This record gives sequence, structure tokens and C-alpha cells, in this order.
Amino acid sequence: MNGSDPRSRPIIEVKNVRKEYPVGDETVVALKRINLTVNRGEICCIFGTSGSGKSTLLNQLAGMEKPTRGEVCIGGVPISRLSENELASFRQKHLGFVFQSYNLLPNLTATENVAMPLLFRGVPRQQREAAARKLLARVGLSHRLDHFPRQMSGGQQQRAGIARAFIARPDVVFADEPTGNLDSKTTVEIMEMICAFARDFHQTIILVTHDPEMASYAHRIVTLIDGEIVSNQVNDKEKLCHEA
Amino acid sequence: MRRQDLLRMCLQNLLRRKSRTILTVLGVLIGCCSIVIMVSLGIGMKESQEKLLAEMGDLTIITATAPQGGRGKAKLDENLVRQLKGIDGVVAVTPKQSLEVDEIRLVAGTGNRYVADWTTVVGMDTQAMEQMGYHFVDGAAAGSTGDVVAGQYLAYNFKDTLRPEGRNTVDRWSGGWDENGNLVDVPPPYLDPMKEKMTLEISTESGKFTVPIKVVGVTKEDYSKGSETSEGIIMSLGDLRKILDKAQGNKKKAVPYDSVLVKVAHISRVADVESEIKGLGYSTESMESVRKPMEKEARQKQLMLGGLGAISLFVAALGITNTMIMSISERTREIGIMKALGCYVTDIRVMFLSEAGAIGLIGGVIGCIISFIASVVINLVSLGPSMENLLPAIVGGEGVSRISVIPPWLLLFAVLFSVLIGLGSGYYPANKAVRIPALEAIKSE
Repeated sequence: MNGSDPRSRPIIEVKNVRKEYPVGDETVVALKRINLTVNRGEICCIFGTSGSGKSTLLNQLAGMEKPTRGEVCIGGVPISRLSENELASFRQKHLGFVFQSYNLLPNLTATENVAMPLLFRGVPRQQREAAARKLLARVGLSHRLDHFPRQMSGGQQQRAGIARAFIARPDVVFADEPTGNLDSKTTVEIMEMICAFARDFHQTIILVTHDPEMASYAHRIVTLIDGEIVSNQVNDKEKLCHEA
Repeated sequence: MRRQDLLRMCLQNLLRRKSRTILTVLGVLIGCCSIVIMVSLGIGMKESQEKLLAEMGDLTIITATAPQGGRGKAKLDENLVRQLKGIDGVVAVTPKQSLEVDEIRLVAGTGNRYVADWTTVVGMDTQAMEQMGYHFVDGAAAGSTGDVVAGQYLAYNFKDTLRPEGRNTVDRWSGGWDENGNLVDVPPPYLDPMKEKMTLEISTESGKFTVPIKVVGVTKEDYSKGSETSEGIIMSLGDLRKILDKAQGNKKKAVPYDSVLVKVAHISRVADVESEIKGLGYSTESMESVRKPMEKEARQKQLMLGGLGAISLFVAALGITNTMIMSISERTREIGIMKALGCYVTDIRVMFLSEAGAIGLIGGVIGCIISFIASVVINLVSLGPSMENLLPAIVGGEGVSRISVIPPWLLLFAVLFSVLIGLGSGYYPANKAVRIPALEAIKSE
């Protein structure tokens, strides 16, 4: 890899992040001085067992929580210092989420769910739902446009979730155990779909998992143990790059 | 978010849990109804009170008299009349003076056939009579010298001198009364005062003289204005002055007015004008002294009734708050997801406030419709349930006293108040919703 490769330009920079939680009278340190750089277009896997601090790291990266010390920058913006409203508009423009439990709103149809990020941006209804339908077709749900989440299988819900994460063309998509509730066949489908989107739109994916199988999809694997990065290695045997 | 999207989401969320929404709306509806009905009863009470007072006497007329006890500087004279006319809010002033002599007789008809042995003669500014609330059953106010206005039943005071004593008068009450207390079979008097020539015969210490008069109008009987409206004669002050001068003979002296009537433009100015006249050192009399305490009492009752209604609306407000808190705790995760996907905090606040406001609005509007119907039913029951009473029951009218009166402002106020109650009770839950972190979206169940 050389300097002309767009992947080498950093999009996420984590500088000396420390996170403490008060538990009773004591303080638990969840993250100890994390430094991490993720490049644009990379699929980065944050790997660790439960309690390793990987979820806490994701929360810092996505601006869900403020770090006790240190700073997180996405595209040069110090998101750990943004106000609530600035953060909301930053999320609208630059971030997407895929959740473990899909997190579709139960009273909205698949189309409405996928269109939601555009709704918050103030895109008119027809326009945003047309975009949603297009994306749903791409994830193979053109026959489920007006179904409610409870009428869909887990795999279908997660595909709608992926469509929702990518509809606003974000720079970074965070995926928190996206296949944690799915069987192995669907897992492969879902992972390939995420990777395909990321490749097509040159987006950065932060994938949090405890499953070594999943980690093999990533360009970079960051392993956490007890709130510390113990290894940060580039994955040569990545599955998807071979396809490309 | 766009406004129509917010509105759509608000309705969607309300329809999601229909029974809960309906129950909460029902609470607001009952609260709104009780406020509207209670206040409308208060207004109805006040309205019928005012009608009652208006029947008792004109509410905007003040009578000024000389201060009781002693003869101070405060004299009822032309000076005072001028002074009163200058007070802000006064539209007309007239002195009143009655003719005080030993004996007044009236004779009328050819050869002075008809004779009334007594009558009262009052002088006042005849041009101001209509403004002062005198009603005419015939003719109009006296204009030129010698013209007078007769009381409604003056004609019955005359006896026919050509008939035998004992059967020479007409008894107005001979027909008796019907069940409503109205006179029936009233026999006609011997003469029509407006058609006969009349003469006043006045006796004083110094002698007797006559004054020819011409009746040009007949006033409606009204004892609140004085007995002259029934059996007396009203003439201009100038004419009365001439008679007085003649009666006094050589020992002329100024006779003060009995009283001065002051007509005020609007009821709201009566108290001020009255106290100003009192300030000049005169005694006053007006319906204000009756109206004030009655109005105060009515306002107190209205406040009490409205307060009772308000209590139920406040209970409904607690219902809204409860509903919203429940719905927010159910939707904690959803709110977290929305925040994670970039929903503005303001949009979340507006979303929940508009849900609470919509509950208030729907409850208020339906409550107003129901209380309007209830009010019409109450009025119909009191007026007698029939089709021709339907319109008076709704809009009222002359001589119709409704138990429940709903003016348009009350409906408007009730709807606004309900919406405000909704927004107010949604404030705390909405703040709670706003504080839910985006992190909720990631927490596993």
C-alpha cells in the first residue's frame, strides 16, 4: 500500500481515549488510553470477548458517550466535543448504524424505517420513500416494502436495517454484532451485503464482534482485552477483497 | 424534520394505542365540559340578574338630591346642572321639580264637565325624557309652551260632574285580574286626555288661578320614575317656573329642584360619575348600589363554579402526564434509535409535546361540542321542550332567560385552555424523552 491509496487517508482518529464508569463508590476503567487510526474505505473489526471494552470503544467512536479523557475525531471533527444538536446533524450526514437487534421501529413499514434517516434530514416524503424502495430492492426486499418488522424474519429485518444504515450515504457505518441473532447462512449473506455496500460507496465500516469468523471479513482487526488494544493487524486473507 | 412529518408521526403514535388515547381524551373532554357548563351557568345567572335589574329601573341613571340634614352649600340649581353636564361620560342631565301648592285641580271637557280633584305636576327637561328612559304610549314629549305629557292613567282620575255622586268615576280595576296578575276587562275612561282641552286650577294662600294646558303625549306608567308617570302631569321647567312665580305672588324666592337626573353613557361609568357627584356634596341614588353587590355575588358564584370545573380539567391533566410518561417509557428504545440515527432533540420534544397537545385539542373540541348540546338541552328543559323554543334555547332573545349561556369566547377559551393543559402536562414527559441517550439503542434487551 502506498500513499496514493485512498485507504491510507485516516477517517477516524482516536487519541488517548480513557473511559471510566463509577460503580458504587469505585471507579471501573473500561478503556485505558486507546490510540487508533482507521483509514477511509477500511473495514475495521473491533474484536474482543464480552467485557473487553469493545462496546465501550464503539460508543466513544459513534459519539454515544463522551470519553473521560482523550478525543475522537471523525473526518477531522472532534465529535467527543460536539453539542447534542451538532452531534445529531453530524450523525445525519456522516454516520450510519446497524444494530444487533435490528432496531426497526415496530409501527413503521420497511420503507418508512429505511427512509427514517432522510426523514430527520427533512427530505420530502415521496423523495425519501423512493430512495428507500430502491435500496430495499437492492437488499432483496422488494416484496416486503409495506411489511411491518413483526411480519419479517430476522434476516429480512437486518437487511432492512442495512438499507437504513446506508441510505443517507454516510462516511462511516457502525455495525454492532450485526449477525449476533442470526444463523450462520444468513450471517454470510448479511456480511457480504455490508461489505458490498462499503466497497461500492467507498465507505468505512466499524464492525464490533466476538466472532473470529466475522473478523475474517475485515481489512484490519483490532483486538481488545481488558480495555487495551493488544493487537492491531492488517488482515491479508480478507474474504471480500479477493472478490473485487 | 418537516412539519407535516411531525404531524403524521404524532397522529400515528396516538392511533397506535387507541384505547389509551381515547381514555385520556375522555378525561380532557369531561374536564372541558365541566368548565364550559359551569361557567355557562354562571353567565346565565348573571344575565338573568341583569335583566331583572333592568326591569327594576334604568341602570345608567343617577338621581342626585340635596344632602340630607341641614342646608349646606350644595344646592340643586342651574349651576349644578351645568356642572354635571361637564362630567365625562354624562350624556344628559335634567332637574326635576314638583309643584307644591295647596291644591291642584284639573278640569276638562265642554263646560268643564270632567274634574280631577287631585294630581301631581312635575317639571323637567321634556326634551331629555326619552334619554331618561321614559316611554310613551301615545304622542311625544312636550315641545312648546303649554304642552304637557300626561301619565298613563291620568284619565281615570276624572269624574263626570253630570252623573250622580258615587257613580261618576270609572274604576280601572273593576274587571279584576287574570291568573297572571294582569288586569282584565279594563273599562275605558270618560275621556282621552290628548283630545280634550284641559285647565289646571291652582289654589294658594294668595288665591286661585287657572293655567290652560294641552296634552301632547302620554307616558307609560313607571313608579321607579315617580307617580307622575301614572296619574300626574309632566311639563317643561319653564312652564312650571311661571306657575310657581304666579303662586308665590309678591314674595318671590328661588325654589331649589327636588332632584337632578343624570344619564350616563355606559354602565361601566356609573360608579365613577356617582362618586364624583357625591364628591360635590350631594346625595345620590342609582341602581349601582343594588347592582354592585349582585354582580359581586354573581362573579363569586361564577368563580366557584368555574373552579369546580377546573379541578376536573386538572385531574385530566394528570391523566395526560401519566399517559405520556407511560408511552415514553415504552418507547425509550425507539427514542434512542431515533437519536442514534440523527433525530434532533428539538424534534423529539416537539413530537411528544404535540402528542400531548393533540390530546388536549381533541378533548377540548369534542368537549365543547358536547357541552354546547348539553346547554341547549338544559335550556330547552327550562323553557319547555318544543321546536319553537329551540332557537331561543340556543341564541336567547328578548325576554328569554336561559339557565345556561355559552358565548363564543367561552368555547374558544375552553379549546385553548385544553390545548394549554395538554402542552403543560406534556412538558415534563417531553423533557424526560429528550434526556434519553442514543445509547439506549445499543443496549441489548
